[in-house]
Amino acid sequence: MTSFLHPGAQRPGGSNSNSPPPSQQHPPHPNYGNPNALADNLQSMNLNRPNYAAPRASPFGQPPPPISSAAPSPGHWAGSQPVARPGPSPLSMITRPMGGPPSRAPPGAFIGRPMGPAGSHPPPPSSLQSSVANHVGPSPRFPVSTGGSATMPTATGVGALPFATGMVSSTPLGATQAGPVSVGPPVASGPRFGPQVGVPPPTVTSSASAPSQVPTMPPFISGPPRTAMQTAPSFSSQPQPAMVPLPGSSFVAQPWQMRPGQIDQPPPGPGAVQPPRMYALPNQSMTSISHGMAPTGASSGGPSKIDPNQIPRPIPNSTVILHETRQGDQANPPPPATSDYIARDTGNCSPRYMRCTINQIPCTADLLATSGMQLALLVQPLALPHPSEAPIQVVDFGESGPVRCSRCKGYINPFMRFIDQGRKFICNLCGFTDETPRDYHCNLGPDGRRRDADGRPELCKGTVEFVASKEYMIREPMPAVYFFLIDVSMNAMQIGATAAACSAISQVISELPEGPRTLVGIATFDSAIHFYNLKRALQQPLMLIVPDIQDVYTPLQSDVIVPLSECRQHLELLLESIPTMFENNRIAESAFGAGIKAAFLAMKISGGKLLVFQSVLPSVGIGALSARDAEGRTNISAGEKETHKLLQPADKTLKTMAIEFAEYQVCVDVFLTTQSYIDIASISVVPQTTGGQVYYYQSFSALSDTAKLYNDLRWNITRPQGFEAVMRVRCSQGIQVQEYHGNFCKRIPTDIDLPAIDCDKAIMVSLKHDDKLPDGSEFAFQCALLYTTLYGQRRIRVTTLSLSVTSMLSSLFRVADLDAQFTCLLKQAAIGIPSTPLLQVREHAINTCINILLSYRKFCATVSSSGQLILPEALKLLPLYTLALLKSVGLQPDGKIDDRSIWVNFVSSISAPLAIPLVYPRMISVHDLKTNEDESMVPSSIPLSSEHLSDGGIYLLENGDDALIYVGAAVDSGILLQLFGASTVEEIPSQFVLQQYDNPLSKKLNEVVNEIRRQRCSYLRLRICKKGSPSGMLFFSQLVEDKNQGCMSYVEFLVHIHRQIQTRMS
Amino acid sequence: MSEMAVTDPEGMDGVRMTWNVWPRTKVEASKCVIPLAVSIAPIRPHQDILTLPYAPLRCRCTASLNPFARVDFSAKHWMCPFCFNRNQFPPHYSQISETNLPGELYPQYTTVQYTLNPSPPMQSQTMEGSSPNFHPPVFLFVLDTCMIEEELGYAKSALKQAIGLLPDNALAGFVSFGTQVQVHELGFSELSKVYVFRGSKEISKDQVMEQLGLSIPGRRVAGAVGLQKGPMPNGFPGSHSAITRFLLPASECQYTLDSVLDELQRDQWPVAPGSRQLRCTGVALTVAAGLLGAFPQSSGARIVALVGGPCTEGPGTIVSKDLSDPVRSHKDLDKDAAPFFKKAGKFYEGLAKQLVNQGHVLDLFASALDQVGLAEMKVAVERTGGLVVLSESFGHSVFKDSFRRVFEDGEQSLGLCSNGTLEIVCTKDIKIQGLFGPCTSLDQKGTGVSDTVIGEGGTTAWKMCGLDKSTCLTVLFDLSSGDKASTPGTVNPQLYLQFRTSFQNLEGQSMLRVTTVTRRWIDTAVSSEDLIQGFDQETAAVVMARMASFKMETEDGFDATRWLDRSLIRFCSQFGDYRKDDPASFTLNPSLSLFPQFMFNLRRSQFVQVFNNSPDETAYFRMLLNRENISNAAVMIQPSLISYSFNSLPQPALLDVASIAMDKILLLDSYFSIVIFHGMTIAQWRNMGYHNQPEYQAFGQLLLAPHDDARMIIRERFPVPRLVVCDQHGSQARFLLAKLNPSATHSNSHDMAAGSDVIFTDDVSLQVFIEHLQKLAVQS
Repeated sequence: MTSFLHPGAQRPGGSNSNSPPPSQQHPPHPNYGNPNALADNLQSMNLNRPNYAAPRASPFGQPPPPISSAAPSPGHWAGSQPVARPGPSPLSMITRPMGGPPSRAPPGAFIGRPMGPAGSHPPPPSSLQSSVANHVGPSPRFPVSTGGSATMPTATGVGALPFATGMVSSTPLGATQAGPVSVGPPVASGPRFGPQVGVPPPTVTSSASAPSQVPTMPPFISGPPRTAMQTAPSFSSQPQPAMVPLPGSSFVAQPWQMRPGQIDQPPPGPGAVQPPRMYALPNQSMTSISHGMAPTGASSGGPSKIDPNQIPRPIPNSTVILHETRQGDQANPPPPATSDYIARDTGNCSPRYMRCTINQIPCTADLLATSGMQLALLVQPLALPHPSEAPIQVVDFGESGPVRCSRCKGYINPFMRFIDQGRKFICNLCGFTDETPRDYHCNLGPDGRRRDADGRPELCKGTVEFVASKEYMIREPMPAVYFFLIDVSMNAMQIGATAAACSAISQVISELPEGPRTLVGIATFDSAIHFYNLKRALQQPLMLIVPDIQDVYTPLQSDVIVPLSECRQHLELLLESIPTMFENNRIAESAFGAGIKAAFLAMKISGGKLLVFQSVLPSVGIGALSARDAEGRTNISAGEKETHKLLQPADKTLKTMAIEFAEYQVCVDVFLTTQSYIDIASISVVPQTTGGQVYYYQSFSALSDTAKLYNDLRWNITRPQGFEAVMRVRCSQGIQVQEYHGNFCKRIPTDIDLPAIDCDKAIMVSLKHDDKLPDGSEFAFQCALLYTTLYGQRRIRVTTLSLSVTSMLSSLFRVADLDAQFTCLLKQAAIGIPSTPLLQVREHAINTCINILLSYRKFCATVSSSGQLILPEALKLLPLYTLALLKSVGLQPDGKIDDRSIWVNFVSSISAPLAIPLVYPRMISVHDLKTNEDESMVPSSIPLSSEHLSDGGIYLLENGDDALIYVGAAVDSGILLQLFGASTVEEIPSQFVLQQYDNPLSKKLNEVVNEIRRQRCSYLRLRICKKGSPSGMLFFSQLVEDKNQGCMSYVEFLVHIHRQIQTRMS
Repeated sequence: MSEMAVTDPEGMDGVRMTWNVWPRTKVEASKCVIPLAVSIAPIRPHQDILTLPYAPLRCRCTASLNPFARVDFSAKHWMCPFCFNRNQFPPHYSQISETNLPGELYPQYTTVQYTLNPSPPMQSQTMEGSSPNFHPPVFLFVLDTCMIEEELGYAKSALKQAIGLLPDNALAGFVSFGTQVQVHELGFSELSKVYVFRGSKEISKDQVMEQLGLSIPGRRVAGAVGLQKGPMPNGFPGSHSAITRFLLPASECQYTLDSVLDELQRDQWPVAPGSRQLRCTGVALTVAAGLLGAFPQSSGARIVALVGGPCTEGPGTIVSKDLSDPVRSHKDLDKDAAPFFKKAGKFYEGLAKQLVNQGHVLDLFASALDQVGLAEMKVAVERTGGLVVLSESFGHSVFKDSFRRVFEDGEQSLGLCSNGTLEIVCTKDIKIQGLFGPCTSLDQKGTGVSDTVIGEGGTTAWKMCGLDKSTCLTVLFDLSSGDKASTPGTVNPQLYLQFRTSFQNLEGQSMLRVTTVTRRWIDTAVSSEDLIQGFDQETAAVVMARMASFKMETEDGFDATRWLDRSLIRFCSQFGDYRKDDPASFTLNPSLSLFPQFMFNLRRSQFVQVFNNSPDETAYFRMLLNRENISNAAVMIQPSLISYSFNSLPQPALLDVASIAMDKILLLDSYFSIVIFHGMTIAQWRNMGYHNQPEYQAFGQLLLAPHDDARMIIRERFPVPRLVVCDQHGSQARFLLAKLNPSATHSNSHDMAAGSDVIFTDDVSLQVFIEHLQKLAVQS
């Protein structure tokens, strides 16, 4: 992930005199020393995801495709796409030359600057007009507006929405240059392709090229899947031919644009094609939807009049976006979290590591409150980088440790300002002026920057990693300890969970890092805890039973946890024999609490990861639980109000234990392989507090879940991660951290303790103004994560994000980050679920959405007609996601308690890229997979509406964690045979295991599934859904745009929101 | 040695009394100074004892039919000599006649043994513990692992040897402990499996059983995998089959146990610097007892514990973990400065109760250079009738040979029996005060119980969970204070005592031995001559030693020396012939004459002079004093000394420093150690190797003779005594010198002949002692 930069070693511009003495310690490092570490790392990831296959095929007889076929290696990736795509359009050809000429620097400096002001300036009147015009213009022509009174012209900001097309169609140039948007042109294409430094410069070129594009446009429009027309020249700093041709805008909103029926409309111009060009018209970008009631005020079945095809939907994007984190000395709003992007750290951290809900900081708390939005950070300090991203550099300051502000202890970062010939520096966090340490001194250049700034990662990168010096260690960095705890009670044995766990562990131990630093231990439990002494000296493992489950202890101080290298054989032998040893176990009780406590005691000295495989409701010993879901159900009348109590832990026992675990750096991951209620609400407290994770195999089936169990375990262990971590977020003066949310333990108010942190865990940091911020200033957030790597180095990963402060409400809406906003909304809902009645949680979610839109409507949109629902461009999907949220498992009152608990738990640490699919899953059609489709591995998604399903189709729907395969009632038997090896739907077993048959379609499906797995870092469990069966119902319940689960359809919901806004306006 | 030893003074009955004729009244008995006491070896084997294959007839007063019963052959009834009730003979005695007597009526068979049928005994309702079933013996080995590697090695090999010696059907189990207790499940084939109990927490029997899955049949039992299903071949009913996970017939588990022992390591728990190892002896024994709790009450089982140091963890702790706190000494006990002593004592008392309830035995083999807490654990060992051996190392022959003896078959076998109960029936007016020895009172009240309680009292029945053929008990009697006029003296000049011991032998056979003895009443007011003739000096000395030990343990601030001196003076005043205030005129009847010397040696012995020993050693000596027979106990008090020289047979020598001569070899038997002491000349000759030269064959034989004798003694004795071979003026010679009468000390050495030795002590010599005694005895 990171590569080493030795301070002083390669410092291009740095003056020799100032460069620190070459540090002697370049610890040659297995991981970091290797320049190819990144690639390697990725390899390992790839191995994980797609692999699912080869090595362990045998045990479960489920051979997924071989590794190579699944994930392209990094290098491969960049190269392969251009090749694979036979050139989406002539355009791409055209763009290529464009990319070349502009030289990077001058334009950047040039244009970048104007942008800033543009952004913060209020919208020019013209732009307002445009939006009005947009909406007014096209509306009559709207194909959808069938109803007499109920026309629903939908206007968008420039090109934002298909329905707005009429106006925009004028030509891209018109829209951008001449038209409403004076600022437009340069920006128009820019942000979309964030990463391209060169975006602005092409102003001229682009305008030049624009005309040339025009002729080429039509073809795209007609070709639904390939809507993305506008290829933005992506010229990154160094010419990267491979990247250039990538059509940046596959992102574009084709769904609502491309509807064949709409073709008769004025062809959407390129402007329209770039719907998300929110930045193009800084303030005008908005989506307005008007419905029937608008003009007349009478609602005559309005909803039905909205063309479902024209309402905002996520625009799938399969192309890679290049994103520079700062441009023109300003933070560059990041691309959507769900998109595929390559970030280049130009001062701010990559949005993967830290993302703010609003990419400018409101100068006062009032301003923020007015916007209805929330200000929060989503921090994912160890997030997986894109394979093509430059590795994080490691800086070693030697004994003295990293340079820090002496007052707030903030770490040195690109935004600390050096003054007085570099002898002092002003902390960007607290404003204090510090002396520069003598050996860190460097003269300043004419631009006021240190001359060595570009050569020092900590002065030019938003994310760096410091080697921690002695003072950051209370003890020697801990070894990598893995302790496996397996339920062997009767139930676990009978459903095959124990065997599955043993086999998974047995395969996974070979992937643990070699060497004396890797320690393992194992224990099993039913109504007693069985430890195993794995010491090599023994002829065979020795089973040590701890029978006192009310007051447990560890049976040995040493030898229960031993270096892997010393016990490999014993361990393998043991794992093989556990399933037979307990085969006839008749003990139904399971002492989960006692088990983890005992294992903890064994691990206490070192800390480490405790991986628990639990199969039944813990019924005895410490922290025993009762089947309270049943209790809840029996007195439902009384319990109705109290249902949410079942989502709270039963008592404090486990919480207290978990806090103790965290104190000793023990992280607990729980794999719940169960077929019945297991009280996740109570159990999950332990992983949540210790930085762990809950894996839930609902209705565990040894046949279909074994593979997932293995892959989950494998990823859990092999993913990039750190131990004994402490994290803290610092903010510039005026805002402070209000609270952290995620999986951790908090003992002091400012820091959070993470016994373990991995690449998948995100932490939400909510923020609070405590002062007015100066308008136009820079405001920084810095997250410092002190952790121990797998290989025993102590590191501090520092991510810094600096944003500008604004006093303009409209700016806030312009730079709002939908994904981050929604993720926060989601997390807040999850936090609320166990403590407040569901109704309130749902109302709160809706109100948050409405308030934001209301605020926008009130203060930013000047559209006169009240009949329009006007959405800020950046947040136009907020209603859809909010609706999806309402329909998600956690917020459904009739969901099973455990299902809701796991949802709540899952959300608590979810990252933004996964939060969206969780509520708004991706659906693709499978029956028509094109085997040679090279555009992207995964075909474009279909809106989540039953209208888009056909009876003869097979569809795959995945939410990042689970996947459903829906088989229509009238699927061609040939296809069935190819994909499932069955000729009729009925023949497909409900305990489904995806197999690869020797035909292109099946291969492609497997490829696609593996690609999705790779993207999600999760081995999706596939379930087959057949029409008319309960599984089919399950599938349809996922189609959030439909009217189902007692909830409105998307269209109805928009209408509902609109009404609410109208009501509140008046 | 006293000449009585030669003639088997205990005879068939195994009974010895301080007085063989009894005074009539309580007042007169108290004038005797030496209490009325009987020492009985309840199952001492004797070739003449008749074994009868049926159950005895019993009178209403619980006494069994015995030779002293008057039988009316025509009426077919017998009169009980104890209560004078008439009892009809049952039908199967119908053949009885003067010429056809059942064995128990033969006059010479005052002791008979009955083999009880496997069928439920008909007449033993009052007797506890007799069981219809044959039970195999059970041995649960408990091994301390907090030892240095070498010691652990010795202990393990001793255990392996022991397991090899077990009868095939004997059940064996294994518990090891250090900081925690590990119960090894031997019936689990897949891999070695142990249950671990924490050492720091007190745990009840029920908890142990529940946690081992022994209490609720069908729950854990069934869950335990790989164990045999159904009832065991050894006769335990199905509900107890769970126990077979832990206890298996020796023939089946020997291999498993061997490999368990091979892999057993020293306790791995880390020990902080400056700390003792954490050793949870208390919990280990509780767990072992709890495990055996799963057995039916009547089955005899032994916990064989090998302990290598003091308990420092959990209940039963005797010393703090801090190495700078020494283990308590007698001085600490005296000053009440042993913070753990009382608490630990309570704990082991509780354990003793539990074991007695279960009928199980605790055998303790302690080997350590320091103390292990025997003083505290004594109660558990003694009440259950367990064996105890204290040695310095598991490699030492004292342990090794003793331990082997426990399991050995044949002539040297200890004759371990279990589940014993002793009942005493005595003639009216005789009351039982209590018992010294390895047993527990069963609190069975009756008319024969005295108000005064000494030792295990307040009962007419005692439980002996474990007993062996050398087990010996001392019963203290009292006479009822009632008016003797009420006793028609004319009716019967004899008194009777009946000892009934039921037990289970090693084969699991239930046995009952009945010993009935009679003695003569005498009116001491008339003449004390007969009384004196009936005095047993050896027994009296031993009883005094036992009483002194008992009082030292139970009475605060008891001054044993003073008490012994006063008793002796009273005794001498009472029975000596003298003129008042004329010490020179004092003489003692030969039947009493040895007694003062016994007392002199008792005063100097380890039983009274405890400060030379650790509380553990004292406890050890006392336990053996209480359970050994009179002859052996007498040797503990007053060692025997045999002198070997050219030209004469080995002969007993005075226990006096004067017995040392340069050309003699001395053999001292002080019970706990046997010392072969070579005079200086002998040692020199030996060093020069004369004995290897043919012309000095006699010398060679002289050298060998004491060794042969020592070997004889050692073979007979359990625990095996320590053999010390030393030379005059050598450092080891102290083992001899400490026991000798210091007639020659540094203060009077000039009087002594050359070649003899002196003892550097300020202790008074026997002569001085006797002089004082005479003076005091004749004082008016």
